[in-house]
Amino acid sequence: MTATTTDTTTGTTATRSTTPAARFGRAFAAHLRSESRLLGRDGAALIFGAVLPLAAIIVMSAIPAAREPQADFGGLSVLRTYQPVIVLFATSVLGLTIVPAILGGYRQAGILRRLRTTPASPATLLAALFVVVFGVGLLVSALIVAIPALVGVGLPDHLGWFALAGVLTLLAFLALGTVLAAVVPSPQVAAGLGNVVAALMWFSAGLWLPRQFFPDWLVTLTNLIPGGAAATAMTDATLGVQPSWQPFVVLVAWTVLGALVAVRTFRWE
Amino acid sequence: MALITVSGLTKSYGARAVLHGVDLTVDEGEIVGVLGANGSGKTTAVECIGGLRPRDGGTINVAGMDPATDPLALREILGMQLQECRLPNKMRVSEALDLYAAFYADPRPAGELLERFGLAAHAQQPFGKLSGGQQQRLSVALALIGRPRIAFLDELTTGLDPAARRDIWEYLRLLRDDGMTMILVTHFMEEAAYLCDRVAILEGGRVVASGTPDAIATAAGGQETSFAAEDGIDLDAVGRIPGVTSVVVDRGRVVVHGDADSPQAVLVALDAQGVRTRQLRVTTPSLDDAYLALTQEGAGR
Repeated sequence: MTATTTDTTTGTTATRSTTPAARFGRAFAAHLRSESRLLGRDGAALIFGAVLPLAAIIVMSAIPAAREPQADFGGLSVLRTYQPVIVLFATSVLGLTIVPAILGGYRQAGILRRLRTTPASPATLLAALFVVVFGVGLLVSALIVAIPALVGVGLPDHLGWFALAGVLTLLAFLALGTVLAAVVPSPQVAAGLGNVVAALMWFSAGLWLPRQFFPDWLVTLTNLIPGGAAATAMTDATLGVQPSWQPFVVLVAWTVLGALVAVRTFRWE
Repeated sequence: MALITVSGLTKSYGARAVLHGVDLTVDEGEIVGVLGANGSGKTTAVECIGGLRPRDGGTINVAGMDPATDPLALREILGMQLQECRLPNKMRVSEALDLYAAFYADPRPAGELLERFGLAAHAQQPFGKLSGGQQQRLSVALALIGRPRIAFLDELTTGLDPAARRDIWEYLRLLRDDGMTMILVTHFMEEAAYLCDRVAILEGGRVVASGTPDAIATAAGGQETSFAAEDGIDLDAVGRIPGVTSVVVDRGRVVVHGDADSPQAVLVALDAQGVRTRQLRVTTPSLDDAYLALTQEGAGR
């Protein structure tokens, strides 16, 4: 769009640019502000997606024994062993339970239907919600990595790979959470199912039983789902082992698959 | 000039036909009411016209655009208030107005709408804490924030107290005087009679009557003239007056039904008999009566 086409369409004194890009930007920015505020007022989302995982990492960081390397954990400290699991916990809660609860709630309350009557598509709201949840997930994950480093446990040896694995994990959970919102009409049921799926992810990542104690067949099986793949990639990155490409492919595949299913099945009403 | 032209609009949900060829025209600057019982298809018709639902057949032209092929351009000039559409419970009134203002090139100032809809004192209140009436007023305000050329308002004043209702009606009249065109979906006859230049009554997916509220009321039901029954009135002679359809005595009153000119004819005839009527009452048929006479809802009672 050139500047000459912008002002002639409205008869009134146009104080705002009316190019499609500018208008999308304005609506997107407004949704972004609005969704950030609403998420900030959403107690459950903050407690389970941010406060709980951060409290866990702070408490573990404060216990000297948790900072000592353990032979049982392949020479890693308890803190560094559980770091990937806690990242996984935070990102899975945000993606698999918070997103379906919010999206399903918006659909059920007619909020998406109402937006269809405006020049801003409800897709703009979805995009803003994803960006906000992604941002919170990224921030919480960064703190889960940074807080142990502050007490002298050190950063993951391959920080870049760890970060990449964390980002892909978050994206996979966002996509799967959107699938839940798309295929389950009730937001309560969708969020409940999200909890079950999240628990499966935590198990795969070794929350209850560290993966070192998994039999081989269970390692192979859990590596095919995002929880196990994410834990493998992040643990390798922590240990300084060059992560293999498989877990990244698994995470990307789930993200792409989830996004395709979500786009095909999601309804505004 | 017709701003909205609908002809032969049909729509089915599966095997259930909801609209059987609806015709409707709305001129620029007009308020047109779409009346009908629940299930008469009025909401579906309006959603098709507004481009929220694909139609099965017929043509729709809204300001030169077809909602089926041009939905985005239509959104710019249309403000729609829908039934059963809420906002996030924790979103505040002023935040909702700011959010919706961001969608339009030249929005109305939020302050004007807060004032007009009696929400100024509640600007910082979250949506979930508002009363049903306040939520409804906010919903109407959001439909008008983009200075729409055409507004679709579905069950506009449901749940509002009479004073709030009058305030909204007055504001809508002002906006109409400014040139805004409105389609009002309602089953509230007083609202239609007060606001609408014309109404269309929908019944079983068809328009069974359309015209000004007065014309529809008069066409459907006749005038009723009644007065205290006294000795010496020749009721048979009254019954023979052209235009009179019935004469009955009910609880001490003579009740005469007839066409629009019958009250005057009855009075002239009685005067000729030397009778001066006492407690005379002439009742004009209301849109309510007409609606009940025209629709299944009335036939069932």
